[in-house]
Amino acid sequence: MNKSMLKITAFAVAIIGFYIYITVYVAGLSGTGGGESAGGVNPEAGEKVFWGDGQCSTCHKIGTSGSASRGPDQDGLASRAEERAKELGMPTGLDYLVESMVEPEKYIVKGYDKIMPKVYDPPIMLSREKILAVIAYLQSLGGEPDIGAIMKYKDKIPEASKKKVKPWVPPVVVDAKEGEKVFFDDTRPVTCGKCHVVNGKGKKVGPELTGIGAIQTAEYFLESILKPSAKIVKGYETMFVITTDGIPYNGLIKSETDQELVLLQEESGSMEEVVIPKSDIAEMKKQDVSIMPGNIGELLSVRDFYGIVSFLQSLK
Amino acid sequence: MNNLKILLHITKKRSVFVVATLFFLSIVLSSLSVLSSSSFFAPVVSAQAVKEAPAAGVELPQFDPAQAPAAAQGTESSAGTTTAAVEEEEVGPVQYRTFFGLDSRVVVWIVSELHLMFAAFVLGVPIFAVIVEIVGYKGGDIKFDKMAKEFTKLLSAAFATTASLGGLLGFCLYGLYPEFMGHMTNVFAPTMYVYALMFFGEAFSLYGYYYSWDILKGTPAKKWSHITLGVMLNLFGTGLMFITNSWATYMMSPAGIVPATGKVVSLYAAVYNLLWMPVNLHRLIANVCFGGFIVGAYAAVKFLGSKTAEERAHYDWMGYVGNFIGIGALIPLPFAGYWLGREVYSASPVMGNIMMGGAFSWTFIIQAILIGMLFIGANYYLWLGMGRIKGSERYTGYIKFLVLIIFMCFAVWLTPHNLPLSGEERAMIGEQYHPFSKYFGVMAAKNAVVNLIILATFFSFLIYRRCNKGETVPFSEQGKSGKIGVMSAVIFCLLMLVSYAVSLSFVELEADMKVFVKPLIRCLYIQSGMICFAAFLTFKSKGKLAQSLLFAVTALMAVLYFWYYGFQVMQKANVVLRYLSVTQVAMVMSCLIMNAFIDIFTFRKAKLIGGIVWGKMPVRSQYALIMLCVVIVILMGLMGFIRSGLRMDWHIYGVLQDTSPWAYTPTLAYMGRIVGLIVALFLGLVAFVFWLAGLGDKKSKAHEGGYDDAISGGDH
Repeated sequence: MNKSMLKITAFAVAIIGFYIYITVYVAGLSGTGGGESAGGVNPEAGEKVFWGDGQCSTCHKIGTSGSASRGPDQDGLASRAEERAKELGMPTGLDYLVESMVEPEKYIVKGYDKIMPKVYDPPIMLSREKILAVIAYLQSLGGEPDIGAIMKYKDKIPEASKKKVKPWVPPVVVDAKEGEKVFFDDTRPVTCGKCHVVNGKGKKVGPELTGIGAIQTAEYFLESILKPSAKIVKGYETMFVITTDGIPYNGLIKSETDQELVLLQEESGSMEEVVIPKSDIAEMKKQDVSIMPGNIGELLSVRDFYGIVSFLQSLK
Repeated sequence: MNNLKILLHITKKRSVFVVATLFFLSIVLSSLSVLSSSSFFAPVVSAQAVKEAPAAGVELPQFDPAQAPAAAQGTESSAGTTTAAVEEEEVGPVQYRTFFGLDSRVVVWIVSELHLMFAAFVLGVPIFAVIVEIVGYKGGDIKFDKMAKEFTKLLSAAFATTASLGGLLGFCLYGLYPEFMGHMTNVFAPTMYVYALMFFGEAFSLYGYYYSWDILKGTPAKKWSHITLGVMLNLFGTGLMFITNSWATYMMSPAGIVPATGKVVSLYAAVYNLLWMPVNLHRLIANVCFGGFIVGAYAAVKFLGSKTAEERAHYDWMGYVGNFIGIGALIPLPFAGYWLGREVYSASPVMGNIMMGGAFSWTFIIQAILIGMLFIGANYYLWLGMGRIKGSERYTGYIKFLVLIIFMCFAVWLTPHNLPLSGEERAMIGEQYHPFSKYFGVMAAKNAVVNLIILATFFSFLIYRRCNKGETVPFSEQGKSGKIGVMSAVIFCLLMLVSYAVSLSFVELEADMKVFVKPLIRCLYIQSGMICFAAFLTFKSKGKLAQSLLFAVTALMAVLYFWYYGFQVMQKANVVLRYLSVTQVAMVMSCLIMNAFIDIFTFRKAKLIGGIVWGKMPVRSQYALIMLCVVIVILMGLMGFIRSGLRMDWHIYGVLQDTSPWAYTPTLAYMGRIVGLIVALFLGLVAFVFWLAGLGDKKSKAHEGGYDDAISGGDH
């Protein structure tokens, strides 16, 4: 090999070396360290899982970050976890965080539904390390994460399930794309897109359904369409309001200040805003009936119905 | 049908050979039916046969009768099938194997990347070669023809390596991931035969193209026949790439199957899945870019080893052409990448979030560094190249501003939206993101600076082009071709801008969102007006003023205004952001196209201040070319990791899970080491292949030398 070839080789190797250095540096910067597995156990890695693979943000927000209200706001969770641990007779808040990850249905916060999945089971299937990282992140919300203590719970976290996901199969052959068309079809008397947003399309009256297929099952969708009042997503309960003049209103709270209440009320198939001064309100009551029409099942053909379910399932 | 079922039942129990034969026959039948049918749907019978008669060691997705009333749908799920499934379980179908104890994923990763890199070379360089051959033939410059032939010779050697690596990849996939490949074969069997046939087509046209080079010259008819062979080579190559892209993109956005059973409903839908076209376009452009930079590096290596001024001049020119084609393809690449990214979001918002806001968001910081290196390297080479052109002194003053613009854009591009903050930092700042840097990390800012980098690079190229051009002639002296050329550019740009503006007027959005689209429509019409005005100025022999105005207006609207407006849109009407990005692209593209045509016809017939002194280039310019080559290879490795990794722990996203021990996303550091190893292996193999291809030349030269010596000796 002549001298110029040696120089060229050295130059190429230097560029590759620079690239490897950058990846190692960025790995450190991003909190994933130089290890061989995904992320390591630290709050930064946990934060990424929370907003990414873990799908936690589909149901939880943290203060002003995110807008989901299916589950509790996790802002300042560390201190609340300590209180909950005391109430439940657990030694520390960390025990509460771990237990509520392992058996989420046993530790449902009052006022919320039993909708949290076991994140180590399909379809989310977080690895043990990622779950520990999320716990570290949750500890950092209003507290100081203690990685050493967290690692002691390693064996309590089940390994991610290797079970295969058997996708739900509709009883008739349907196409999710056709279901999407029905979902947004404005020509129909009732359209899902008038109240639900999917990927930026539609109106945000009811809960946003972007990514919902990753956290909910087909059975949940079937029930939600046929019996919308069976499970109402937190924050979307219907409010019944009677004014001092005796006028009744039934709708969703869009906003509320000390002076006024803005309700979204259904008016001949579309949602209209009604502004009610607080001083005019005689009575206000949360109802256990969803504002979502209960007869959607009757308005859809069997193929359209399963098409919508298939479409929702495809939102992963 | 009953006979077929009985036959299949027997074959499962008795003979692997018969299974394989039936499997083969069913695929042949299905591929024949594809060829004979006007529609591209997979015949149900063959798909069913494939499903019911899996090859040894291949577990195909089993239909679960408990999941749906299958009998009502006419699906074959009788008791007999259930029994067969139990029997299969007893045999213990293999899902995964290891490669002599090594991590199977790493083995497949390395082999597939090497195969893809060689394939990119084999697909990109013929596009380059045919363009160069046509340019040489039309311009009557023999050196273009020689260069095209030189690269086609390299192709022949690289082609064999690509095929060998492809074979190795196929064996690795079938051996190490049998279940996954069973599924893929089930869906794509007919296309695999088309692939094999097209492979023959590519091989024959490649060798025909190379070996007929000297035979098919002399007359225009012969030369065009030869060029046609080159075009065929490209068509076969592109067809091959499109087929393999359908397999790869199906894994990300599967379509055309019943997920639970793996039953093929529509092969057409599986092939033409949501990501197919975006990936096709992105890879096609990227391959041309890749080919250009590889040619540049080859020329640089030869330049550095040159012993005579003539050799240096030849390889300097070759490097320039390679870099020119590389930059030419690099400029539209971000647009194609944006489209692909947008479609990834459309295919799966979760995958989109993982890409840009989740586990993979940091890889885009590394990507930004690499693309920044490409743009800076390509510009640096152009600026150094100005040194070999007399008259360039008039333009060197612009370089410092270009450097400033490119580095500033690079800095913005590098800024991540979600800089990881510790709890303490968050408490100090009082919010989730950094109050200052967050504005540079969002998509609106990134789109703006990418467009500015592209405009700046194009500006570099324009000043390079006019370095040795002096006084221009009035536009009227450009003749009909000048008018036709500029008017064609105007019509093309207007069609692009106005048609998009009209389509935006009819976009289906709520009224409160639609108001955010109106400024976009106005900007598109303003740009259309500017295009017409620039053409008017050009006709009045004020082409330079037209170019400056067009640059200024485009930069003001597409970069500055849309940077600001992008923030507004993101906060109030996020759904409009996609229309904004396309508007930006359309405006910048129209500026590039129009300015290129104005430049060609303004400076044609201009007085020459001096010639280009080929070979008068500093050594560091050649290292810039080598850097461009190494960086684009690294970039290809990185992007391969991202595209494949976005599926997370799914072989086929949402359909077939990856339950192997390697179903986790490796860290960036690990990825960096593996990609670095792949790049080193690829460059080493390319150098080896080039050396092999050059052996024949050395031998023939030596032989000619010896023969000449013998003759001259005899003369004495």
